[in-house]
Amino acid sequence: MTMRKEETGMGQSHKVREDLGYVRDVVGRAEHSGTPRAIWYLWAVVGFIGFALIDFAPQRVGPYWAVAGPIGFLASAWLGARHARHVGQESVREGYAYMLHWGAMGAAIFLLALLPATGDMTSHAMARVVVLILALSYFLAGVHLTPALKWMGLMMTAGYGLLFFLDQYAWTIVGAIVAVGLIAVAHFTAKRPPRVAATPQRT
Amino acid sequence: VTTGKRDGAAEIQERLGALDKLLEHRVRLAICVLLSRYDRLSFSRLKDLTGETDGSLGAHLRRLEEERYVRVKKEFADRKPVSWYALTAAGRAALTAHLHAMEALIRGADLAG
Repeated sequence: MTMRKEETGMGQSHKVREDLGYVRDVVGRAEHSGTPRAIWYLWAVVGFIGFALIDFAPQRVGPYWAVAGPIGFLASAWLGARHARHVGQESVREGYAYMLHWGAMGAAIFLLALLPATGDMTSHAMARVVVLILALSYFLAGVHLTPALKWMGLMMTAGYGLLFFLDQYAWTIVGAIVAVGLIAVAHFTAKRPPRVAATPQRT
Repeated sequence: VTTGKRDGAAEIQERLGALDKLLEHRVRLAICVLLSRYDRLSFSRLKDLTGETDGSLGAHLRRLEEERYVRVKKEFADRKPVSWYALTAAGRAALTAHLHAMEALIRGADLAG
């Protein structure tokens, strides 16, 4: 009798392990709710224009980012929240993590912009440091948030390297690399917002 | 030795007794674990994630609702009814206790094995 009870305990333990395996699979599937494509397309356009301006209208770079940066950030937050509602999976904690990550990057770039104003750094050097901050931010986003963004970080690091070798239209080329990378991320990893599925009516 | 076996059996019974009957079903357990990680999930998302049919998932959710482990809020999106589920404080406490009991059961089995 005692043995049977112990065997029951062992059997129960085996069932518990199987159940935990099932739960792990289900939770793993939930982690891939994806980022909406619109966010990557938005930043591909905003980023390309912002980088190209350094070559074509350097005096407009500051005002452009002062407006496009915050608007893009708010638009991304709105698109992300809308996507979560469409997918049917809302998490304030997850949204907060994204906002903190990208917000910290924006804040670092904003604070860096003070250095040319005080004469401690040239605008040209600052732009290169911005590329490095972007590369690091995208790489860390790849580590913590969206795995595919690791490649974006590496592409941006390559873009930073290119700046040492290109004389003409270097920033436009870097902007194009960033834009192509973001469009590739959108194409290969992101998800379109699904059509809202109605909940079956209970009888 | 007999006393030792009896003690072991009593311990196993105690651990089995600590499991929450409602959460012993893996689909209901998965629903509660998901809802502990996300603020709220829609019926269709839960259906996609668990792979259950409408009827089966509805029955599991109804049981969790009856025991007040989850609460439901009905909204309309694109003029379609959408049910959003969230874990209650009671559900979170029950899930935590159940997971601790599962952990103890596995640890006990590992030691016995």
